Amino acid sequence: MNAYLAYLVFPGFLFTAAAGMLASWIDRKLTARVQWRVGPPLLQPLYDFVKLLGKETIVPKGSSKITFLLAPVLGLVGVTFVSTMVWSAMLWPEGGFTGDLIVVLYFLMVPSLAVILGAFASKNRLASLGASREMKLMLADELPFLLAVLVVIIQSGGSLKLGQLMTYQQSYGMILGSVSGVLAVVVAVLTMQAKLTLVPFDIPEAETEIMGGVFVEYSGPPLAVFKLTRMMMLITMPAVLTLLFLGGVKFEGWHILWSLLKFFVLLLLITLIRNTSPRVRIDQAVRFFWGPVTVIGIVAVVLALLGF
Amino acid sequence: MNPLLYPIVIPFIAGLLLYVIPRRVKGIHEAAALLVSAGTFGLTVWLFLQKPMEWTTQNSLILRLDDLSAFILLAAGLFGFLIALYSVIYMKDRNQRSMYYGSLLLTLGATCGALMSNHLILLLIFWGFLGITLYLLIQSGGDGAAPAAKKSLIIVGGSDALLLLGIVFIYSLTGTFEMDKILLSFNNGLVTWVFVLLALSAFAKAGSLPLHTWIPDMAMHTPIPATALMPAALDKLLGIYLLGRMVLNLFQMTGAMNLFLMIVGAVTIITAVMMALVQHDLRKLLAYHAVSQVGYMVLGIGTGTVIGIAGGLFHMLNNTLYKTCLFLTGGSVKYRTGSTDLDELGGLARFMPMTFLSFIFAALAISGIPPLNGFVSKWMVYQGLVELGREGDKLWVVWLLAAMFGSGLTLASFMKLTHTVFLGDSAKRAGRKIKEVGFIMWLPTVILAVLCVLFGVFAIQVPLKHFIIPAMGSDIEYIGSWSPGLATVMILIGIGIGFLIYLAGNLKGIREADSFIGGEELDSETRVTGTGFYNTIREMGMFSRIYRWAEDKWFDVYDLGNHLFSGIGGVLSKAHTGVLNLYVFWFVFGLIVLLIVLMGGSL
Repeated sequence: MNAYLAYLVFPGFLFTAAAGMLASWIDRKLTARVQWRVGPPLLQPLYDFVKLLGKETIVPKGSSKITFLLAPVLGLVGVTFVSTMVWSAMLWPEGGFTGDLIVVLYFLMVPSLAVILGAFASKNRLASLGASREMKLMLADELPFLLAVLVVIIQSGGSLKLGQLMTYQQSYGMILGSVSGVLAVVVAVLTMQAKLTLVPFDIPEAETEIMGGVFVEYSGPPLAVFKLTRMMMLITMPAVLTLLFLGGVKFEGWHILWSLLKFFVLLLLITLIRNTSPRVRIDQAVRFFWGPVTVIGIVAVVLALLGF
Repeated sequence: MNPLLYPIVIPFIAGLLLYVIPRRVKGIHEAAALLVSAGTFGLTVWLFLQKPMEWTTQNSLILRLDDLSAFILLAAGLFGFLIALYSVIYMKDRNQRSMYYGSLLLTLGATCGALMSNHLILLLIFWGFLGITLYLLIQSGGDGAAPAAKKSLIIVGGSDALLLLGIVFIYSLTGTFEMDKILLSFNNGLVTWVFVLLALSAFAKAGSLPLHTWIPDMAMHTPIPATALMPAALDKLLGIYLLGRMVLNLFQMTGAMNLFLMIVGAVTIITAVMMALVQHDLRKLLAYHAVSQVGYMVLGIGTGTVIGIAGGLFHMLNNTLYKTCLFLTGGSVKYRTGSTDLDELGGLARFMPMTFLSFIFAALAISGIPPLNGFVSKWMVYQGLVELGREGDKLWVVWLLAAMFGSGLTLASFMKLTHTVFLGDSAKRAGRKIKEVGFIMWLPTVILAVLCVLFGVFAIQVPLKHFIIPAMGSDIEYIGSWSPGLATVMILIGIGIGFLIYLAGNLKGIREADSFIGGEELDSETRVTGTGFYNTIREMGMFSRIYRWAEDKWFDVYDLGNHLFSGIGGVLSKAHTGVLNLYVFWFVFGLIVLLIVLMGGSL
């Protein structure tokens, strides 16, 4: 029963949705301040979500309707899963199981996969183009991201359990504290931006050229679910990075503030990157991730193997 | 007669009879093939429940059914039956039916024989026989199939020679042909050769690098059910069975041999999937995946850890399930549309819902999406690799990266396939209505897809408990930790939440509308087919050169051998001018040389 409660309420679906909306608000508020605007009120993400729920659902003619409507839900399941597992590992590190890290890595692909399937089912050329970019972007960031995760596995002595990875860092210092760790975090932050498909890697959506790409046919409740998934990802990706590289969270005294600060810094980084860079082309993105970023990742792995 | 002989003898007799029954007699081939394959499947189930069994004659143990061979035999029986069922409709208008069904049954019988042989010579006979039935099955594809059939026969048959050589060495080392009496340790240089020879013949059967090149070629010309039968199902089972037998029973493995296996595995995963990514034909794309997946099995077995080997064997079982399913759905697509060219397909999901459903589950399973079966076995292989790292190995990082990234690449190429075949725009927008294939054709694909789900969700309770762990002979650590059952319930609940959100919203007024492309009217010529999805990667610096080399067959052992031998032959053929005087000269010259050599001692 506990597992279901964890999945549905805390730290699963409801909590992540609320936290995601908060993160989305912080992101929008910061963006507004960067652009010398006032920015939206605190509940604006919720208003947006509810408003979309009330809108009409339009399904493209001749498409596979079930796939079209099921895809957003799949994405939601994926992010809820990752969030539940990551937060559970941070709050109750003794729980979990050996190899849950691999499960998290696979479920992290599911939201992107859902976007791709939904776009394919849209039967729209722009969506197809967007989806092919999303897929390529996923391939591009997967390689360096895996390298960064390998650094953590190596440093913790070959553990594949999320809880152990955190307790290791809490007793021996966070991964970020080592040379290889710094490089790994640089790689991870860059890939995080791509996994969230935010500028400069918002290539699958590219509003100005393919009009929202993957989401072009979506409207009403299905779009609301996609947007909700994205908001939840905005808090889940920093949670994954916090757990893997920044020593996780601890809810005791001053540690609470310190834990929150980690999230805030990561969010700030995401927002600042997306507000200060232009969109790149997909081939540039692939070249970037498989080129310099992968090289940094490899250097980090080698350094980690050598004990730095 | 010993019951172990039934699954060998019955398909053999039936298969030989089918060869001689003229094809004008309608229906008899199908009925016989169906009946015999169903009977064989029943027999394998019965034998599985009876294991272990033995058949001894003339003081030597000829046939043996133990925990390892029993579950593979069961799988072989299942695939034989499902593919025979599928073929009934698929092959009904073809000319080569007697050859096809006869070869199918002979293949089944020989597979059962190879799996149960305890005597190495008998294993070699069945092994070689399978090469011939493979040749015949490819030939049943009709006129264009001859070069591919020849190539397969040369590679697979050539690897039989390696197996023969290995067996001769084994006999010279141990003095016995009976596998249960053989345990070789690497204290002699010859043992290394034996291992490499046997491993190469297993690689050729299973289709691992460097002897994989027959699979993509034959897939283009063979009837699709035959491709699903041999390289996708039975040959995988056999190749990995031999490898598993070697690692578990015949050899005391060392680090160097494991390293050899892991290098082959990792290279196979990445290179084959990179080739699959850019293919333009459904059959060829699937064939490259049939190669790539072998990499996971070889890699898992090469870890030498209990969980890794178990993962490799489990992956073999899972791979045959989803790979056969994928090939059969590909066959249904070809049956209805007449094409497997990805540029000519599209938008079939609406017309062929059962086929699409089977396809998408198998595609997600092969990409390792939890909680399907492919995930469980990959997860076990990864754990094996990390355990290797804990034991002090440094290269595990490379293998793990290759395996996990290969999984992402697999997903990518199946997304491309999903788009180009089932979703996306249809090829000819106007008019053409495509019907779903008949019940008999979609039933096998649905059964296989359901098995993919069940083997994932109940991985620990059913396949691992009854098939893999008994074969390993020892319990596996942390196997009980991932609970796919709970995960599945969670996923279903999550989908429920999603639909609650839909219900809370305005879902009543669903409206259909044309897709929006900036208000422009575009004709169907400019549709996005998806074949070019990964051209960005193909055209990137280093990759473009490697792809070009691969397409010129610079990595194909068969073609390289061809170049080599025709090169040597070209030089030698210069001596054959056809001038009789010259031949007489060579003849006399040779005699003189011979005389001098023979008299060399006395001079």
